[in-house]
Amino acid sequence: MNNPTQTMDIRRDLVALLPRLRRFALTLAGTAEDADRLVREVCSRAIQKSHHWKGEGRIESWLFSLMRTAWSDEIKKRRKTQPSSTPKAQGVVSATEISTMATSDQILLSLPSGLASVFLLVDVESFAYGEAAAILGIPEQAFAERLCSARLRLSEIAPEASERRA
Amino acid sequence: MKASASSPALERRISAFLDGEANEHERQEIEALLVNEPQARALHDSLKRGTDFGRRVFDDAMKEPLPLELVRTIKNAPLPRRAIRLPDDKKRQALSFKPSRTQALVACLLSLCLGGGIGYALGTQPGSTRLGGSEVQLDSRDWLDDVVAHYRLYTRLPDRLVEIGADRPGDILAWLTTGTGIAFRIPDLSQSGLTFAGARLFTADNRPSGLLLYRRGDEGEIIAITFSKTRPDTNKPVEDIRADTGLVSWSTPLATYVVVGPSSAADLDEIAAKAAGLI
Repeated sequence: MNNPTQTMDIRRDLVALLPRLRRFALTLAGTAEDADRLVREVCSRAIQKSHHWKGEGRIESWLFSLMRTAWSDEIKKRRKTQPSSTPKAQGVVSATEISTMATSDQILLSLPSGLASVFLLVDVESFAYGEAAAILGIPEQAFAERLCSARLRLSEIAPEASERRA
Repeated sequence: MKASASSPALERRISAFLDGEANEHERQEIEALLVNEPQARALHDSLKRGTDFGRRVFDDAMKEPLPLELVRTIKNAPLPRRAIRLPDDKKRQALSFKPSRTQALVACLLSLCLGGGIGYALGTQPGSTRLGGSEVQLDSRDWLDDVVAHYRLYTRLPDRLVEIGADRPGDILAWLTTGTGIAFRIPDLSQSGLTFAGARLFTADNRPSGLLLYRRGDEGEIIAITFSKTRPDTNKPVEDIRADTGLVSWSTPLATYVVVGPSSAADLDEIAAKAAGLI
């Protein structure tokens, strides 16, 4: 017989992980509105597929993978319905402009596309390269390159932004 | 200090070195470069500064308040229902539902004759169709609707939830056994996080029915077990949701039982399976 407490835990886990899921969603989606919608969608999928989670490894890895897949699906859907629409502008902001930004969200969203997710997974969520690359569905080599770019980009804006934020 | 003049390959190698992702040979090479090459050292410092700054930015992003509605949606999301073996399942498993060719052929012929007969009968009495429809509608309300109605009524009256409290189990057993004519035990469902709150007596389909009420967790979720001598049309276990209320019922030769709870409670079938063995 299944243990009911085990099935209840997925929702508790999701609520506990919500700030981190939302942060990762923000790096993918680019706006708070889309990020919240993405988190809701992924949590719903995770609850429905909770029997797929065997308790091996970190649940974040599974949830982040679900989220990346959901976002890829969403992008494809948007491309079909609105072929002319482009993703939220990323990678067009200069370091000087970034240094004038007030919130952490603004700084994250101003990073060139894909860099924030890469940085988050390794430097904040402490995933190894292989696992993080698998979550994002990209080769490990490309992942390492993006991570290096993200660090250098953040390094460029670090002193100025730090002073302004202090 | 910026290290943009360095080669991309060196940047990547030092970046991987910072994460312990470089192999032993690479590690030794980078360590030597950091000692001997100022440019490599500047690049190392730059990558490190980027990492530290990025971490602070991401930490700040965590401090933003979560939308309450998002939390609520996840907390209350219904869990997927799973197949649970209830008392009647053994019998059902023994039966094979795959018909043989002969059985299928006979069934087809019977359906054809029956359908034709009914069609002919209806065709010759066109006025009776409407009346028949309304009769079906009148009969559609069954005893489970009464169970749901009582459950919904009492769960909305937290101060009047039970008639006899859990502190008088002897009185509950004597009262409900006499009232319903069914001998029973009060199941201990603490393993499912349920605490017995007390009992009630009510009528469903004009028959006296016992209602054992349990509370779960801090949210005060109410789960109930009903039993009565009502004989439903089918002996098969029923899993249903009516008016946002989840139901799982099963029957024995002596009584019919129903576990009732909010439709979001995904473990009603498990509770029913446990209760069936304990009641």
